[in-house]
Amino acid sequence: MHLLEVENLTKRFGGLTAVNNVNFHVDEGEIVGIIGPNGAGKTTLFHLISGFLKPDSGNMKFKGENIVGVPPHEIANKGIARTFQVVRPFRHLPVIANVMVALKSPRGSKKIEWIKTFERKAVDMLENVGLTELMLEPAENVGHGDLKRLEMARALALEPDLLMLDEPFGGLNPLETDFLTKSIQRIHLDHPTRGIVIVEHKLYALMKIVNRVIVLHQGEKIAEGKPEEIAKNKKVIEVYMGKAM
Amino acid sequence: MIEAIIIDGLVTGAVFALLAVGFTLIYGVAGVTNLAHGSFFMLGAYMFSVFGPHGFLKLEAIQALILATIFVAIIASIFYRLSINPIIDDAVAVLVVTVSVAIIFQQIVLLVFGPGFFVVPPFTSGSTAILGLMTPNSRLVSAVISMALFISLWIFISRTKIGAAMRAASQDREVAMLMGINTERLYMLTMAISAALAGIAGIFIASSTTGVAAASMWLSPLAMSFAIVILGGLGSIKGTLIGAFIIGYAESAVANLVPEGGAIVSVVPFLVMVLILVIRPKGLFGKRIEMEE
Amino acid sequence: MVTTYLTRIYSSFTAHVFDIPPRMLALLLFSFLVVLPIGGLNQYVLGILASANVLAIFAASWDLLVGRTGQISLGHALFFGGGAYITALLFENYGLPFWITIPIAVLITTLFALLIGFPCLRVKGPYLALVTMAFPIIIGSIVGWAPLVDIFHGEIGFRGLPRFFPFLKIQDQALAEYYLTLLLLFISSVILYKIANSKTGIVLVSILDDEVASKASGINVTRYKLMAFAISGLFASLAGCTQAHLLKLANPPMLSLSWSFIPVIVTFLGGIGTIYGPLLGAYIYYILDRYVLTILVKIPPEFVYAKLLIFTAIVVILILKWPRGLARFTTDKLQDLEEARDIEERGPKIWKTYKKKKKIV
Repeated sequence: MHLLEVENLTKRFGGLTAVNNVNFHVDEGEIVGIIGPNGAGKTTLFHLISGFLKPDSGNMKFKGENIVGVPPHEIANKGIARTFQVVRPFRHLPVIANVMVALKSPRGSKKIEWIKTFERKAVDMLENVGLTELMLEPAENVGHGDLKRLEMARALALEPDLLMLDEPFGGLNPLETDFLTKSIQRIHLDHPTRGIVIVEHKLYALMKIVNRVIVLHQGEKIAEGKPEEIAKNKKVIEVYMGKAM
Repeated sequence: MIEAIIIDGLVTGAVFALLAVGFTLIYGVAGVTNLAHGSFFMLGAYMFSVFGPHGFLKLEAIQALILATIFVAIIASIFYRLSINPIIDDAVAVLVVTVSVAIIFQQIVLLVFGPGFFVVPPFTSGSTAILGLMTPNSRLVSAVISMALFISLWIFISRTKIGAAMRAASQDREVAMLMGINTERLYMLTMAISAALAGIAGIFIASSTTGVAAASMWLSPLAMSFAIVILGGLGSIKGTLIGAFIIGYAESAVANLVPEGGAIVSVVPFLVMVLILVIRPKGLFGKRIEMEE
Repeated sequence: MVTTYLTRIYSSFTAHVFDIPPRMLALLLFSFLVVLPIGGLNQYVLGILASANVLAIFAASWDLLVGRTGQISLGHALFFGGGAYITALLFENYGLPFWITIPIAVLITTLFALLIGFPCLRVKGPYLALVTMAFPIIIGSIVGWAPLVDIFHGEIGFRGLPRFFPFLKIQDQALAEYYLTLLLLFISSVILYKIANSKTGIVLVSILDDEVASKASGINVTRYKLMAFAISGLFASLAGCTQAHLLKLANPPMLSLSWSFIPVIVTFLGGIGTIYGPLLGAYIYYILDRYVLTILVKIPPEFVYAKLLIFTAIVVILILKWPRGLARFTTDKLQDLEEARDIEERGPKIWKTYKKKKKIV
C-alpha cells in the first residue's frame, strides 16, 4: 500500500484545467520531487492533497484511506503537513507561539510525550531548525529565510507521516539553500518511514535529496524517474527552455 | 391588489438594480465593501429636495436630479480619497471606517435637517393607467430612467477603455497596476459612479415611492444592495438585475399583503440577506466563493 | 491641527502605557476604581460609573471576538439588547427575581449565539459584518412591531424592571450598584483575560492572523470561532441584562445599530486587542460623553446628534492613523522574560532563563 496515492486527479478553474488527470504515488521513506515550470499545477496539486481545494474528479488515498472532500484541518490531523509557497506565519505571535499553535491541534497535542510540556516540545521543534534565538521575537519582525524555517518547524510539530514542502528553497541564498538541504536530509534520517514531497522549480536544489522526480507541465504529468534521468529527458528540457534550471 | 404588487415590484426592482450595481461595482473593482453606500442613497434624496422645485434653488426636477447627483459624486470622491484610500488594503478597517462615516453622515443630516421625515416632492406629476391601476408618473419615469442608466452602465463597462480598466482591476489589482492603470484614480472614479447611482436611486425612491427622506434611511438600502448582490451572485451584473427584481417583488408583496406591512417591510432585505448567506452563499449566478487562498 | 494635537496626546499615552505589563496596568485601574467612591460621590456620578463598568464588559466581549479572533461583528447589540429583553420578559411573565432571570437570559442568549454562529461564521469578513449587523435590526423591528405590542410593548419597551438592591436606601443603592458592576467587571475581565492569554488565546490569534495556516496546522478553525462567538455573546448579554436592571428598562434602542457600534468606539478609544483597552475606553467614553461634551463644552440639546458624530469621527481618525493597531500579543510571562532589549543578547539570556523556569506560557 502506498503512503499517498493520487489517481486521475483533475481540477478545473472555469475554462482553465490546472490539474489534468494526474497520477502518482509516494511510499514510506521516499523523498519525491515535483518539478515543472510556473503554472504547471504544482501548488494546485498541493492544495488538492491538503484539502484546501476539492478536485473535480479523481481519487486520493492516504494510508489507504480516502481523503477527497476531507477538510484541511482534518487532513493535517491525519498526518499530512504542508508548508506554503509564500510563507504564512502568524504575524502577531512570537516565533515560539507559531509552533505552539500546531501543537494545540489534536494531533499535535497527542504527540507530546507525557513528560514534556507544550513549551518544551515547541523549543525542541525550533532547535531542529535552528531558530531558538528568535524564540520570543514576533513573527512579523523575522526575516524571510527564518520564516521559511519557521514554516517547516510548524509543519514538523505535527509529526506528520507525509511532509509536503511547497518551494522551500524559494528566495534563499546559496548558504541558506545548503543549510536547508542538510536540514531536510537530517529530518529524513530522523524519521525514516516519513514520506516527503517537495515542489520546486529549481531542479538542481532537489537533485541531491530526492529519490524520484515527477515533472508536471500545464497540469499533466509528462515524466517520472530518477533525478539523473529527468535531467537528461528531452521533453523536460524542452519544457524548461528559457527557464532557469 | 395583484396589479399593485406587479407594478410596485417592477418599479422597485428597476431602481434597486441601479442601487445594487453601484455597490457591486465598487466591490468588484476596488474590493471595497462600502457600508456607507446607503448614505449616498440618502444624501441624494435630501439634496434633490433641497435643490428641487420646493427647495432652495427651485430648479426643475431633472436639473435638481443632475445637480444632486453631481454633489453626491463629489462628496463620495472626497470620502474615498480621505478615508478609504489610506486603508484600502485592510478589509476590517474599511468596514469599520465606512460604517463610521455612514453614521457621521447620518448625524450631520440630523444636525442640519433635524430628526423626523423630510418631505421630498414627487418627480413629476400626474398619473397613467397601467394594468387598470392609476400609477403616478414619477414611478414610471423612475423605472424607465433607471433601466436606461443600468443599460448605459453595462455598455460603458463592456465597450469603453475605462470600462476595460475596471474589468481588469476587478480580476487582479496587481496586474492592473503593472499594466499601467492608475488604480487610485480608477477607484475614485468608480466610487463616484457608484455613489452617483446610489444617489439617483435614492432620489427616485424618495420622490416617487415613499415621498419622504429620513436621516436613518441608509441602512435599508445598504442591506438591500447587499442582499441583491449576494442573491444574484457576486461579480454578475446579470445576476444583480435578476436579484433586484426578485427582492423588489418580495418587498412589494410584503408591503401589500402583510398587515402593517409598511413598518416591517424594511426587514425584508435583511432577512433575505441572512437567509442567502446561510443557505447558499454563492447566490444564483455567482462564481463559487472558494474560501481558501 | 487639532488632529495632530490629539494624536500626540494619544501616542504619548500609549507609549507610556505599553511599558507597563498590561496585567499590572489593569490591576492599577481596578484598585483605583475600588477606592474611587471613598471621597464621596453623588448618586448621579455613581450611576454613570456603574454604566461605564457595564459598558466595559460589553466592549471587552466584543474585543475578544474582533480584536483577538478577527471575526468582525457589527451587531453585538443583538446579545446586549437580547439579554435585556429576555430578562425583562422573564420578570414580567413569571415574576422571577433578577438573580434568576439574568443567568437564564445569559444562558438563552449564549445558546442562541451558538445557533446563529454556526452558519454565520462560515462566511468571510464583509459578509459576516453585514450578517451580524442585520440580526439585531431584524429582531429590533420585530420587537417594535405594532401587532406584537402586547408581548414586547412596542417602541416603549419594558419599564419598571426591579433594581438590584431594593432593600437599601436610595443613596446607598447607587453605591452598591457601582460595586456590583465593578465586581462583575472584575470577574469578566479575569475570565476573558485567562482565555485570551492561554494556549487557546494563541490559537485565536492564529485564526486572526491567518486562517489558512491555522487550518494547515490542524486547528478546527470553525470550532474555535464558534467558541469565541459564544463567549463573546455570553458576556455581551451579561452586560445587557445588568444595564437593563440598572436603568430599569429594556427598549428597542438597545437593539439598534448605535448600540452595536458603541463597543467599536469604546474599543478603539482604549486599544483594540488588549485587556485594559475596553475598560479604559468605556471610562473615556463616558467622561467624554457626560462630562466634556455635556458640562464643559455645553452642547445645547439641539446639537445632541453632534456627540455621536464626534465619537465616530474620533474612531475614523484613530483607524486612519493606526489601522488595526492590534497590540502586540504578549502574555505576562513572556513579558517577565523580556529583560534584555538588545537582540544579540537575547538568545543566550532567554535560553538561560527558560532553562531555569522551564515554562514560557
